[in-house]
Amino acid sequence: MANLRVLAKRRRSVRIIRKITRTMELIATARFKKAMDRAHAATAYTRRITQLVANLVHGGVEIDHPLLQPREETNRAVLLVLTANRGLCGGFNTNLIRAAQQQLNELRAEVPEVSVEVAGKRGIAAFRNRKIDMAEQFTQFEDKPRYDEVEPIAQRYLDAYITGELDRVDMVYMRFESASRQSVAVETLLPLGGLAGSEEGQAEQDVPFEFLPSAESILEEVVPTSFKVKLFKCFLDAAVSEQIARMVAMKSATENADGLIRDLTTLYNRARQSRITSEILDVIGGVEAVAK
Amino acid sequence: MARIQCVVVTPEATVCDAEVDFVVIPLYDGEVGIAPGHTPMIGRLGYGEMRLRDGQHTDRYYIDGGFAEVRDDMVTLLTNRAVPASELDSTAIQQNLSAAIGKVAKTTEEMSVRDRLIAQGRGQLRVAQRAGTD
Repeated sequence: MANLRVLAKRRRSVRIIRKITRTMELIATARFKKAMDRAHAATAYTRRITQLVANLVHGGVEIDHPLLQPREETNRAVLLVLTANRGLCGGFNTNLIRAAQQQLNELRAEVPEVSVEVAGKRGIAAFRNRKIDMAEQFTQFEDKPRYDEVEPIAQRYLDAYITGELDRVDMVYMRFESASRQSVAVETLLPLGGLAGSEEGQAEQDVPFEFLPSAESILEEVVPTSFKVKLFKCFLDAAVSEQIARMVAMKSATENADGLIRDLTTLYNRARQSRITSEILDVIGGVEAVAK
Repeated sequence: MARIQCVVVTPEATVCDAEVDFVVIPLYDGEVGIAPGHTPMIGRLGYGEMRLRDGQHTDRYYIDGGFAEVRDDMVTLLTNRAVPASELDSTAIQQNLSAAIGKVAKTTEEMSVRDRLIAQGRGQLRVAQRAGTD
């Protein structure tokens, strides 16, 4: 039988770990709710932009913008990977890094010059281990990415794309589909495949809009804005998914700790009982020896 | 009397959702006032002040570009940033503005960035100064 004291010690440490994982689970839940609210707010914005584009198209505007045109030859591409700053969130980071690696290999086969940009300490560490050079590293994004922080990145891509220094932007992130479902997504952000809402049929019934100063001027602004918001939405999605992943991982860790505590308690009780029994046997044996 | 619903949305949050008497929004090339019954309109916003008048009371916000949509007595503003005028800090803005003016721009892109920064700075400053007067 294992030593009683060793068992008690192990049980205590498992209890402490359980407390930590349980707290982390609660924190992740709270953060997830907050991140979710922000994602909802962003959805309201994207929905309205989509509506606006639909109205523009309905108003007879030809959707045409340099950002929407695919390049004839892709010479320079950027791969942006969004991972988490922290671990302890199950397969979140591993899955992302694996997908990013695969996408990078594919991109390198097609495009002569590919640079990698990584957000999140976990991703940065993984790419460093694989000896892949990163052009940019971001660690400032936690559970609440701010639009002011994402916008400069978006602007940089836009500027580089328009001046011809960049022909393609790909992105790997964890897409949030529902609270119980997230998946690794690999998307091409630039060139924009098309504006959401640019298909006919979504516009409201024949509202004769007046465009100020002109529909073209509005379009000129809509296209970059929708790109920025799209990028921002990806960051928000990634933040929400990370919190969910952590919540699930910590939940199963807590349950596992519960099981361990139960097993250890049984072992401990059994060991204690057998010690007591052997002590009683000792005493009885002693008494019998004296009586003889 | 008919009133207007005014909704201001940024990518991070819905900043304001109120029913008011009269709205003034800063378009790209000048302000436009919107009273109930305004014709449907989509406009490109500039950097300037939005005023919401409700009775005797006026709320002021700084609007940082974006779009406005007017329809059925409802004004929707999509903007990067909307800040209540009272929360603007004129000294900080002044500093940013001077920094933007002093910036050396060599290419067309850099020049357009600088122009945007200057326009934003001046817009913010105007709003901040007017907020102090009433």
